Amino acid sequence: MTADLLRMEGLTKRYGGTVALDGLTAQVRPGLIGLVGANGAGKTTLFRLVLGLTQPTSGRVEVDGIDVADDPIGVRRRVGYMPEHDCLPLDQTAADVVSTFAEMGGLPVRDARQRASDVLDLVGLDEARFRSIGTFSTGMRQRAKLAQAIVGGPVVVLLDEPTAGLDPVGRDEMLDLISRLGTFGISVIMSTHLLDDVARVCDQVVMISAGSLVVAGSTEALLARTGRLLVDVGRRHPDLVGALQARGVRARSGDDVAGDHGLTHDLVEVDGDGDATVDEVLAVIADLGLPLYRLSSGSTSLDDVFLSHAERAR
Amino acid sequence: MSTVNPASVGTADGAVYDRSYRPYDGPRGGRAACTMALARTTARRALGLRRSWRQKVAPFVLLGIATIPAIVNVGIGYVTRNLAVAQRIELIDYRDYVGVSSALLVFVAVTAPDALCPDRRQRVLPLIFARPLTGLDYVLAKVGALTAILFAFSFLPQVVLYVGNLLVSDDALGYLSGHLDVLWKVPVAVFFLAVFYAVVGLAIASLSSRRIVAGASLIGLVLVTSAVSGVLVGDRAEAAANTGSAAALINVLALPLALRDLVFLGHIDAESALGGVAGGGAMAVAAYLSVLAFGAGVLVYRYRWVER
Repeated sequence: MTADLLRMEGLTKRYGGTVALDGLTAQVRPGLIGLVGANGAGKTTLFRLVLGLTQPTSGRVEVDGIDVADDPIGVRRRVGYMPEHDCLPLDQTAADVVSTFAEMGGLPVRDARQRASDVLDLVGLDEARFRSIGTFSTGMRQRAKLAQAIVGGPVVVLLDEPTAGLDPVGRDEMLDLISRLGTFGISVIMSTHLLDDVARVCDQVVMISAGSLVVAGSTEALLARTGRLLVDVGRRHPDLVGALQARGVRARSGDDVAGDHGLTHDLVEVDGDGDATVDEVLAVIADLGLPLYRLSSGSTSLDDVFLSHAERAR
Repeated sequence: MSTVNPASVGTADGAVYDRSYRPYDGPRGGRAACTMALARTTARRALGLRRSWRQKVAPFVLLGIATIPAIVNVGIGYVTRNLAVAQRIELIDYRDYVGVSSALLVFVAVTAPDALCPDRRQRVLPLIFARPLTGLDYVLAKVGALTAILFAFSFLPQVVLYVGNLLVSDDALGYLSGHLDVLWKVPVAVFFLAVFYAVVGLAIASLSSRRIVAGASLIGLVLVTSAVSGVLVGDRAEAAANTGSAAALINVLALPLALRDLVFLGHIDAESALGGVAGGGAMAVAAYLSVLAFGAGVLVYRYRWVER
């Protein structure tokens, strides 16, 4: 047995002359996984391969220890799927649709109804569950789609762009819901092109670009490997960079950022993020008598990680 | 009342109900359960159950229309119950009533597209096929569901007719024993009719994602084939018996009526468009099976790649 949730080996999918996925090899453990890539990078194709809805041109994919090519039905019994597009029958009520999909997942009718009600309550549609889906807003439809994905008690749910089309509040609530799924013991593989979403909820990241793997690993590890510090002392101080360099710290002026009260803060970038470097920086700032607004690890976004890896791969 | 519900005591006795997510570890069916669930929801949808009243109007009004001949027949039987047996009027017998009425055609044109087209148009197919079933299971579920409701649609009026005749006859027990054969002939003939119309209706519906187009295509097929066949065979109302033509087979949607005749009479009705044609029964059965196989082939082909 393997502890991997998803294992892909040389997974390749061609549609005619177009290569959707090109020799993807990666493993992920159970948890909240972000599948990141630009539009057309192959995320939806990967989901369809995982569900066994399309056959790989070559290579193989395993879900929860089951080879999809051997037992696609067995895989689909363990997986919930939330497509990106609208996909619910518009003239049926949410309760009806979700309990029908629970029955189709193999649940007895009574359990299906009970769980549909529970799950709709969980996603915040308890009051709207007897309304037809056609009357729902985009946010409510996304919740109903999430409800049908988890109603059958899956091992893992595949969420294709779950925050697409949502306003900031709706997106916030959807991400909260997704991170709660982790606490219920459901693994999540969430595709998105928004790295912020991934940074917020996911503990592992798989980045793909044009069908190839860019990088895979735990979010923490990817963010930690930057080796830079950002120092924010408010207004630019003419001596700071020089003073740091005098102490043997490799520093340079960084970007400007907007601070409080309409002031512009001038960041200083420092190479190295060890304790010794931090001590040196603090000592210099104390010597100069500057206010310290922020001292943080250099990379605060997965964008940098993505761009730097994509560049290296090129 | 001396007992107090602990939950209603507003102190430390309050109860917390956790309605959050629980993993499911109960029994779980496989492909068969999934296919049955899909068939159930398809049948419910087609009849407009659990949908707004607008969706219920067409199926149930049509069922009412299809039942009118039975009610009229029973009504006349009641009015004429005191006349001598020879003078009584029977408007319709069980064989005629297994028929291709306009109500049935419209019912198929409404329900068959409704069983397939919304799945395609509203892009529900990816969700359905993310469940444990195959393209073949999907086709089986849809054909099964539509066969069931078409069977019910044609069978319920027969029940009304039979029970009504039974009640207005002078001798209920005599009527029952005198009409035992219809108890198996009607269901068998109605089944042949239902499965044929289910497969043909769904095969046409599978080619379009718009209900209105699919429904109109079915009606169009009926009009064209019956008109062409009618021209070739000639007017049957004036013609003598046993002067039919093999061109009657072109009227594909009337093929179940030939099977009905075989079930009820054991041979093709001499008065029908196929009457008197040598080997007409065998030809009708062969044509029926070919159309059924072709329709099933179209359906399986359309859903061989499960998505899109």
